[in-house]
Amino acid sequence: MATDPSSVANQRVVETLASRLRRRQVVGSRETALETVLVLRQVISKVRFSNIDQLVEIIRSIGRKLVEAQPKEHTVGNTVRKVLHHIREEYHTASQGTAVVSTSKDTLSIAKFVLQGQPRQQNVPQKTTLNESHGMLKENDADDPDAFARTLKPVLMEAIQDVLDELETVYDNISKNAKDHIHSDEIILTIGKSSTVEAFLKAAAPYRKYTVIVADTAPSYSGHDMAQSLSSAGISTVLVPDSSIYALMSRINKVMLGAHAILANGGMFAITGSLLAATAARAHSTPVVVCAGQFKLTPQWNLYHEYGALDFADPSSVLGFEEGNLVDKVDVVNPFYDYVRPELIDAFITNDGDHPPSSVYRLIKEAYDDEDYEL
Amino acid sequence: MSATTTIIMTAPPSKSTIKLVPAQSHGEASSSQAQNQPPKSQKQMTKAERREQQERQRAAKAATKVAGPQLSGPNQNAAQAKKGAPPAASTSASVKKGGKGPDGKPTKETKETTSDDSARGLRIFSHFGLPKPPGPSKGDIHPAIIRLGLQFSEFKIAGANARCIATLTAFKTVIQDYVTPPNNTLSRHLLTHLSPQITHLVSARPMSVTMGNAIRELKLEISGSDIDLPEQDAKNLLCQKIDDYISERIIIADQVIQETAGTKIKDGDVILTYARSSVVEQVLVGAWDDGKQFSVLVVDSRPMLEGKKLLSVLSAMGIPCTYLLLPSIGSVITEVSTVLVGAHSLHSNGAVFSRAGTALVAMMAKQHSVPVVVCCETYKFAETIQLDSFTKNELAPAGDIFSSFPLTRSKDTLTLNKQPNLEILNPLYDLTPPSSITAVVTEVGVIPPSSISSIPLALGRTTL
Repeated sequence: MATDPSSVANQRVVETLASRLRRRQVVGSRETALETVLVLRQVISKVRFSNIDQLVEIIRSIGRKLVEAQPKEHTVGNTVRKVLHHIREEYHTASQGTAVVSTSKDTLSIAKFVLQGQPRQQNVPQKTTLNESHGMLKENDADDPDAFARTLKPVLMEAIQDVLDELETVYDNISKNAKDHIHSDEIILTIGKSSTVEAFLKAAAPYRKYTVIVADTAPSYSGHDMAQSLSSAGISTVLVPDSSIYALMSRINKVMLGAHAILANGGMFAITGSLLAATAARAHSTPVVVCAGQFKLTPQWNLYHEYGALDFADPSSVLGFEEGNLVDKVDVVNPFYDYVRPELIDAFITNDGDHPPSSVYRLIKEAYDDEDYEL
Repeated sequence: MSATTTIIMTAPPSKSTIKLVPAQSHGEASSSQAQNQPPKSQKQMTKAERREQQERQRAAKAATKVAGPQLSGPNQNAAQAKKGAPPAASTSASVKKGGKGPDGKPTKETKETTSDDSARGLRIFSHFGLPKPPGPSKGDIHPAIIRLGLQFSEFKIAGANARCIATLTAFKTVIQDYVTPPNNTLSRHLLTHLSPQITHLVSARPMSVTMGNAIRELKLEISGSDIDLPEQDAKNLLCQKIDDYISERIIIADQVIQETAGTKIKDGDVILTYARSSVVEQVLVGAWDDGKQFSVLVVDSRPMLEGKKLLSVLSAMGIPCTYLLLPSIGSVITEVSTVLVGAHSLHSNGAVFSRAGTALVAMMAKQHSVPVVVCCETYKFAETIQLDSFTKNELAPAGDIFSSFPLTRSKDTLTLNKQPNLEILNPLYDLTPPSSITAVVTEVGVIPPSSISSIPLALGRTTL
């Protein structure tokens, strides 16, 4: 990369975020996503590039660095992919004028049928022959290397602003139809403190009277925070220990969970205890609903086989040092996440509508570009 | 039939009849209204009169009408009247546990109204009260029983076997100290003497099935004791019988179970157990003493966090142990070879009533094809069938009496007490359905859960 001051500043900004991610000073899907978008915006506003490939490569290397810093925060990679997707879209619109997507011709053709059976290849327009039809964009212009960047940047900044807006309005969009998912006198079980589920339940509260049972969620006991927040919003809440989830499940009408990341097969990573709640719900045929923003959609899915996938947390909240003589004799396990497989989930409520786990792959195809799955 | 809006202006004497009528009619909501608010205003009176007219209409109609839609009429009135009362009154009225019938019922009737929804979910558990500290003893309660009651209510003695043995030992003292009053026989009077003692224990903590079975046996022995025996001999005989019961059906049974279940443990096994069962502890210790090499996963959970005690015993013996909390079980269950759990009681349909959380452990194990073995003596069998965890359960006292929260979180950020709109429930038991259980190890053999009801017959016993 060029060693001009702007790229040094960019590197510094990226390094700061990477080290904060590594030290877990930034945690949580939404916070990491927001920070990533801000960093990308800063980088793109200052960076110099003469053609689209350079820009894509710059962003990808930033993405790689950030993902390496904290592989467990999947939303970092997702946001980078989303930004890349928007960049490419804006580029295509600007360079072709009309939409590039293969339009369906009205003529019937066997070839079309055969092609439709193949996995959809995203359209990568040929750049070599289209130098004349680029219109306003001048790529690789030797006399004016910044011309390309200059014309494209305003559009890019708008696109990034779109991504930022989507992240900031996630809770509002998800809670829009909250009251249509909850009926009166319903008993809903939730675990842990998911801000998305919290916003969802609070949005439905003025329209419906229902009860929420919140499970402790040891050892973080985030259930206590959730119970306090919901009860102060006027929702009748019952706080129970995790051990009674099965006992109460027969009287529960719906289980609402939050997600940390949604995997491409429709499964998800969620806080420990979600697997218990979802399995117990399945045993009683109770619907399991997951509220999550679309920024949590991850194009990878084979992540749960790694031993470290569950992100182990501090063991002293399970067995603390006050149990002095046990501490060195006993192994303590404290995974932070659970992997919940797609068969246990009935619906994902996202800011872009409700989807069953079986159509998550389609959402991912639409949100990200194929070549970005591996950053 | 909709709520009529015609106001019947009757003379004041009818006001008193209004108070009487609700007592007779089956609209209990009105009785609570009379309880909560002495009618003061004109508005109240006309509402009550409206209701009186509706009740007359309803009484005139056939009894085949469903109660629900009928009650909605007077209930709306009651609700509107109730809204005047502070919501806390209705909340506390509905939340009062300990079997307060008249308060519990009207809130059930007004289920459709919105003012009681703050306690809606709780009515599921409102039929069994929170344990109260044993009050001033009525009648002659033996000091040993008083001490035992205190120990129960503070959970110093917990666990089905421990409670049963402690109860029987205390009764031995009571029997030895007992003196038959003149003109009475021991076999008849001792029973009446024991009744208040038993009631005192039950008021400290609801009786466990083990205690129930043991006391039933004891009563049988007492009523069958020979009238001609001198008193001291009769008492000694009873104490001997009690000792025999404990030794035969608990101590020796445990040893047999230890040997039988021990054969299920092989070298290299990973055994998972939940909370603390005295029988499972014996099994694991016995197997380790036999030289088998295995490791143990102890799963633990609130409210009682009993697994730590088991953990100290096992790790003191040198058994390699891993400790985790219940929500983490999903990540380790794939490595487990057997699940060993204890039981509070076994029911005729094969369901196991055990510490809250056992059902979750058994369910997860079954999902991953891990055998679930319940270690249980035959004296824990209950003749009844239990279908869910609500009809018979116990709630732990509110607050943190078990110190079950980690020190990494400061106490004031935790929710330990009730607040408006927030209730705390800590059920102590739950029911594991027979589908999640692979086998039950008893002193008479290893049996599948479906055969439990035929055991007493097979042994030639008429009772368990």
